[in-house]
Amino acid sequence: MTNKFELNVISAESKVFQGEVENVLVPGMSGDFLVLPNHAPCISSIRPGFLEFAEDVSKKHRYFVSGGIIEVINNMVSVLVDSAIDGDNVIKEDISAIISEIDVKLSTGNIRNRDDLGLRKNDLEEALKQS
Amino acid sequence: MANLKDLKIRIDSVKSTRKITKAMQMVAAAKLRKAQESAEKGRPYAEKMRAVVANLASSVTNIAGDNKFLGDGSNSKKFLLIVATSERGLCGGFNSSIVKLAKSRIAELKNQNKEIKILTIGKKGKEQLNREFQSMFIGHIDLSNEKNITIETARHISTDLILRFENDEYEVAEIFYNRFASVISQIPSSYRLLPVSVNEKEEDASNVSFNFEPDEDEILNEIIPKSIATSIFSVLQENAASEQGSRMAAMDNATRNAGEMIDKLTIDFNRSRQAAITNELIEIISGAEAL
Repeated sequence: MTNKFELNVISAESKVFQGEVENVLVPGMSGDFLVLPNHAPCISSIRPGFLEFAEDVSKKHRYFVSGGIIEVINNMVSVLVDSAIDGDNVIKEDISAIISEIDVKLSTGNIRNRDDLGLRKNDLEEALKQS
Repeated sequence: MANLKDLKIRIDSVKSTRKITKAMQMVAAAKLRKAQESAEKGRPYAEKMRAVVANLASSVTNIAGDNKFLGDGSNSKKFLLIVATSERGLCGGFNSSIVKLAKSRIAELKNQNKEIKILTIGKKGKEQLNREFQSMFIGHIDLSNEKNITIETARHISTDLILRFENDEYEVAEIFYNRFASVISQIPSSYRLLPVSVNEKEEDASNVSFNFEPDEDEILNEIIPKSIATSIFSVLQENAASEQGSRMAAMDNATRNAGEMIDKLTIDFNRSRQAAITNELIEIISGAEAL
């Protein structure tokens, strides 16, 4: 019985991770969700936050991703991210930089999805506390 | 026959030109390898992005209807042509072949009475197009300060493009660049960035209906700017690789021509020298005979 599925984490500039994993915790746009084997096909956008997955019980990975998209199809999970930083190397300044970017966008005012950005900012501040 | 000193000067000058072209060829070869490597690294992302967008687009037409980014652009009136060229010259026909392709497209669109706007990336294309089509220019993107093309640059360009799209400045955007077929072959190509065409689904997804989160429209609005940035990124990377490939070939040619020229001039030089010696000998001998 297969209790693993294939995961590809790809950023615009390189391949971050490729391999078999047991589960993936995804910071989805409308809430975190866990992908397990035989997950129904779905496409969702990702908000900035921590992407966590486990190759097995002892081998866990954690990346900070700055937004992107996930596609789940026939036990093939592809995560396309703008950028991914290994969880251990996350620098608080990086996150702070993204927050200040959002602040600028919020202040310019011509953004339709103000609420979204505000939520994203909250998420990031949460992530900042976690790291 | 030119005198010896002139010939000597010419040979030296051609020799130093050859040194320069040889050096440029080697630099281009090194840069080409680097450009190819980074183009390859970005490929999986671009491919996957294209697949996801295709899956999305086909699902959306089934369910939701129209998204402003989707369509086939058939009834559009306003065209934006993005001409991506290099910042530097001395790379053979690289820039003029792109410009030629763009010009033929402009002529074609003009015949159909379309409104045309031009955006250039890279100095060389701007210089060539500015002469004829200045009134159509709406912008220029300068890459001279970018040593390597980063995704940030591409995002910048795509944000600008989408803003213009939303402001109704154009309805169809096409980008012109040189596709990198191999080191010695670059094919001037064009590619439609916007609107995104509604293709068939990817093979492995043909029978799958996706769950979307949030809904399709929102994901599309989120992902299409990203996919455009990715497309621009890969276009710029291909262009950079093509530029170096083209320059390498051009400089290889120039080096060979310089070599041939040096050989020819050296033969001329030796002949003239021999002629001068023979002349002197004849003068001495005839002088001696006259005594």
